Amino acid sequence: MVAQQAAPQDWWAYRPLQRPAPPEVQNSQWVSNDIDRFVLARLLARGLQPAAQASKEVLIRRLTYDLLGLPPTPAEVAVFVADASPDAYDKLVDRLLQSPQYGVQWGRHWLDLVRFAETDSFERDTKKPDAWRYRDWVVDAFNKDMPYGQFLTWQLAGDELPEPTVSSMAATGYYRLGIWDDEPTNRLQAVYDDFDGIVDTTARTMLGISMGCARCHDHKKDPIKATDYYSFLAFFENLKPYNSGVDGISASIPADGAMRDHETALARFASERLAIVLRARTFAETAYAGLSPAMRVEMLDAADRACIASYSCERTDPKLLLEDRGGPNGVVKGQAVPVESETGTALRFDGDDRIDLPLLVRNSFTISFRVRSTQTGHGRDNEKGWFSGDGLVDGEVPGIVRDFGISWQGDGRILAGTGSPETFLASSSGNNDGRWHHVAFTRDRTTGRIALYVDGILAEAGEGNKDALDAPPKLTVGGLQPGGHGFRGDLDELRFYSRVLDAEEVGAEALQLRAGIVAAMAMRKEAPTGESDLRALALLRRPQVEKVQVLCARERSEKPEPSFVRIRGNAMVRGVEVKPALPEVLSSKTPTIVPPADGRTSGRRTALAQWITQPDNPLTWRVVANRLWQFHFGRGLCRTPNDFGHLGELPTHPELLDWLATEVVARGQSLKAMHRLMVTSSTYRMQCVVDQLSFAADPTNDLFWRFDRRRLGAEEIRDSMLAAAGALNLQLGGPSIYPPMPAAVLATSSRPEEAWGKSPPDQAARRSIFIHQKRSLLDPLLAAFDMADTDTSCPVRFATVQPTQALIMLNGEFAQSMARTFAARLQEGGGDLRAQIERGLAITTCRTAQPQDADRLIKLATDLRRDFQRTEADVLIRCCLVLLNANDFVYLD
Amino acid sequence: MSNLPQNTFCGRTRREFLQQLGCGFGSLPLLDLLAKESPNKLLHAFRNDPMAPKQPHFAPKAKAVIFLFMYGGPSHVDTFDYKPKLYPLDGKSIDIDTKGRGGTKKQGRVVGPKWAFKQYGQSGKWVSDLFPHLGRCVDDMAFVHSMYADSPLHGSAMLMMNSGRILSGSPCLGSWATYGLGTSNQNLPGFVVMLDKTGGPISGAKNWSSGFMPAVYQGTVLRAKGEAILDLNLPPGMSREEQRRMLDTLLQQNESHLQARADDTDLQARIQSYELAFRMQAHAPEAIDIVNESEATRTLYGLDSPRTEDFGRKCLLARRLVERGVRFVQIYSGGNHNDNNWDAHGDLVYNHTHHAGATDQPIAALLTDLKQRGLLESTIVVWGGEFGRQPTAEYAEGTGRDHNSAGFTMWLAGGGIPGGVSVGTTDELGNQAVLDPYHVKNLHATILRQLGFDANQLAYRYAGLDQKLVGVTGAEPIRALV
Repeated sequence: MVAQQAAPQDWWAYRPLQRPAPPEVQNSQWVSNDIDRFVLARLLARGLQPAAQASKEVLIRRLTYDLLGLPPTPAEVAVFVADASPDAYDKLVDRLLQSPQYGVQWGRHWLDLVRFAETDSFERDTKKPDAWRYRDWVVDAFNKDMPYGQFLTWQLAGDELPEPTVSSMAATGYYRLGIWDDEPTNRLQAVYDDFDGIVDTTARTMLGISMGCARCHDHKKDPIKATDYYSFLAFFENLKPYNSGVDGISASIPADGAMRDHETALARFASERLAIVLRARTFAETAYAGLSPAMRVEMLDAADRACIASYSCERTDPKLLLEDRGGPNGVVKGQAVPVESETGTALRFDGDDRIDLPLLVRNSFTISFRVRSTQTGHGRDNEKGWFSGDGLVDGEVPGIVRDFGISWQGDGRILAGTGSPETFLASSSGNNDGRWHHVAFTRDRTTGRIALYVDGILAEAGEGNKDALDAPPKLTVGGLQPGGHGFRGDLDELRFYSRVLDAEEVGAEALQLRAGIVAAMAMRKEAPTGESDLRALALLRRPQVEKVQVLCARERSEKPEPSFVRIRGNAMVRGVEVKPALPEVLSSKTPTIVPPADGRTSGRRTALAQWITQPDNPLTWRVVANRLWQFHFGRGLCRTPNDFGHLGELPTHPELLDWLATEVVARGQSLKAMHRLMVTSSTYRMQCVVDQLSFAADPTNDLFWRFDRRRLGAEEIRDSMLAAAGALNLQLGGPSIYPPMPAAVLATSSRPEEAWGKSPPDQAARRSIFIHQKRSLLDPLLAAFDMADTDTSCPVRFATVQPTQALIMLNGEFAQSMARTFAARLQEGGGDLRAQIERGLAITTCRTAQPQDADRLIKLATDLRRDFQRTEADVLIRCCLVLLNANDFVYLD
Repeated sequence: MSNLPQNTFCGRTRREFLQQLGCGFGSLPLLDLLAKESPNKLLHAFRNDPMAPKQPHFAPKAKAVIFLFMYGGPSHVDTFDYKPKLYPLDGKSIDIDTKGRGGTKKQGRVVGPKWAFKQYGQSGKWVSDLFPHLGRCVDDMAFVHSMYADSPLHGSAMLMMNSGRILSGSPCLGSWATYGLGTSNQNLPGFVVMLDKTGGPISGAKNWSSGFMPAVYQGTVLRAKGEAILDLNLPPGMSREEQRRMLDTLLQQNESHLQARADDTDLQARIQSYELAFRMQAHAPEAIDIVNESEATRTLYGLDSPRTEDFGRKCLLARRLVERGVRFVQIYSGGNHNDNNWDAHGDLVYNHTHHAGATDQPIAALLTDLKQRGLLESTIVVWGGEFGRQPTAEYAEGTGRDHNSAGFTMWLAGGGIPGGVSVGTTDELGNQAVLDPYHVKNLHATILRQLGFDANQLAYRYAGLDQKLVGVTGAEPIRALV
């Protein structure tokens, strides 16, 4: 007999969400909330009874690990056990849900799903730019209890919000987390491999459907066709692919609220500067007036001697840049048209104009000039090499050589530097305001010190090489010497000095004080302490717009190219054209796509997010309800949380799952409300008991007749060891940390010496989620305890048991050091050995120590002292190591 | 659920049940037996001991594999693929289609082979003067001259040779072997990797990752000297007797914890794992301790010469590990970057003289030693890199060759594979496989076949699919070799 073929839409997971009524049950005193009705009804139908409620000590440990990924402290256990009020448990739940550590634990679950890692894998395993911002955003979103629909929408289309913020942009880092081959054998295919990672992760993580097979052919079991796959891909296809460089996958954007703060700071800066300038002018005029004529001449001579070439740009020649006193002229390539300036005339560069000068300076020197432009230069905020910008005065020679130069970069930032070793200086941005700015670059050959001043303000100083900078054969004004990167704007008053001008001299030049340097020298005479206003000027700080580099979605244009089926997954072979659309079996509607007004993106991803998060989407809410259940109870109601299709498992409690799915929507999509619902059920509070009758009837606990014991996850184990030792640093967020990596593990890298960083001890003791996640180099303890593989979405972690775990926990340097710190903590607490061991047991087992447990360890301590002549401190360390290895530390009832 | 069909496991079909165990392959006598006894026992047997010995699909010819990975890509036309027509073309520019690191080219300057070739053995196989020792073993070796792979670039090509795919995230050949067969000696890891002294290959641990399989199936890095396995050695100042006392206390504490949880086999397994670790601490150092190897054996492997000492020791250890039941051993010749491995872009003569000189005698010794101990019959030795090299030069000057994945040579020996045979050919310049080309997947299928598996059936359930080493399209073994 062949069963009649059901309609594809009739599959349990695709059916419209219905809200089943919680069944009526007897024994209703066991029922704490409606969850228990669903569970109990099934148990009673099979003649089984739920297990009794677990003890308070068990419950607080279960709940604290569940919500925070950490053990409760003995004090927290004591408070909870002593609290006899009827709402003691609810208060505990509330306290834990308010802890910022909650976001760390639940954010980790999400990071597993979206295959979060901070590098690209493959040959170079390059670090992604600031991927940690995505991790921080996830942790923060959980802590803020962001409604689940918004949580998904921001990841899919946070850049398409009417007013995107750093947070909403960082959420779209979602698209950049996968593996990426920077040297693919076939570039186009690699671009589609990257898209496949996005399609696959989105479909599995948010919708619980597997679309991967439909890349090559219609899905063999599920009603997902190849056209569905490519129509779904079309939502993403306008994203700039990963190979479009840092600019294509990230953006430098003002920090939230930074623009408002910047306006205020800028106004304050302007008034401070004006006050200094006025004082300095008055002072200089007075000082100059007080000099004898002979002194004036002497000083002018001194200044002239130092100035080896001066190009005031007053006398012009179409082919030559004339030195003021008949010195070496520059050769004009292109035009360099004279334009009016505040001192007469200046020269205008249009991007193709250049002036060649001999290599006038190579040892100690100062180069000073005025510059004016409104243009944005080449290069990005985070690049400091002057050769990334447009050349102003440049002696760049490719390679690590003794060269130097000054350039105009990005949003009006001045860069300067010397080569071999590469030493770079940068000013603040914002000089592209159409006003004149004075630039001075000084270099001292004897010390290697280089300094960059803008408007008399010291932008940055550094220490470079101490050799003659003789790599460039000449100097180029208006572009980079190797070619390209032409400057667009005006230059004036270009001077070369054969010595380092100090801050006052530079300040005098910048303010165009009468015979600048002379005045400064005069002032120094008058103010021998050197505390002149010009020095104060040098130390002023021009405020910066605080910008952050965010890994994010960027689209190619407002108008996407047409999308096609790629025959058998081959990116080179186009099939029929497709439009962005949802899998046919799930929706027959054409999505409404409205491009955002700013014209940067297509609006396609917003349309997708709207469909995924609409309250009647049959999959989204079932999938998230199932995941919440999974992490609370150890397994999903559907055991294949990433696959609700025909190749997945059927849910053990389909009505409960549907009811929970509707509950997520009904509770404002608040995950914290759902946690509260689940953990306050009686189902959650059962013991992990042995019951022969129930075990025989339902050995895999399909019906939830008890709570399932679990091994702690990799991060929970490491974090608990740090917590036991009293060393755990609970600081949240920021760039990732680099705890010590054993040399033997580093040796597996192709560049062992460059493979890993080094964090100071207090940073290394932060929670494991903050460890730099490098695809080719894993922390051995986390790897041994089954941390998620980061190349594909990981819905369920393994919990293996292997002897190599025991080796790491017994002999590894981390375990050893935790045992030492733990022992020291116990000793500091005072008391005799028994008191110390009882405290240790209370810390690692989260309950009052039993005498026989303490006896055992005291006997070990005594034996080791006697038979191996160990000190008191040594035996305590060994006892602590036993505690950290015990099953009651690593397993959770 | 009231009408459970017959012959089910807790309401799931047998197929579903096996899938849930992470165990997707067709017919497994051991599991069948257990299943008849008690489905629940089966669950626990599999969950607690994923490394228990398992029966493959058919009677295996080989029990172990030693994969000698010549990282960087050795030049086939200078080693085992004799191309007499290439010599006279040295220095001449010819029309030739190549694809390598330097991109796709239509022309190139021929670099004639830099070594002479000689015929060796009964079979008269041609071997270049780079491998005088290995030349004497050709009657045990089977050459595949027509290998090809999907990528001519190290990162993706390494992943393909190790895991069958150019993208990372899939289990390696060694993971498949241990997943399929388990191990016969749990006192040692089942899948062992020995790296070059200059460092790991690019992509590091991705090359011995178990991908989406549990970590028990990933390669364990074994060091030939000092601490064999990470954290194997006791901490400074700790004796074995003292650790035993600590473990006894731990055992008591765990037993006491277990009392009220007696049904939990995971807790029992974890107690066992500490005893295994304690034994491993004795067995692994013994496995790498060559003090009892005879002088003749040491000399055979070249341990008396600085040039061959390092790789020779690793080859000797490979034999010792296989003797002790380790399933899969991979040894890297070459690590780090540039000329620290076989990636001869600049000076081919310098590079290959160096690497062949360090490995020729040790590898020949390994084959000889395995054979005289009767282990070669049950051990497959595989030699090769992630690809070969082009017949033409990469740069305007010099003897360096660019990568070539369109045709290259690998050889196998032992494990029931006939010796003294060759399959497939490249064109007369050694540029592309032309006759009977074999993809990396065919090589993998061949190795699995000798271990007793049909590569198209050996599957692991992941992401809703029966994942296979040879992918969804599958691959046949090289018929002449199985």
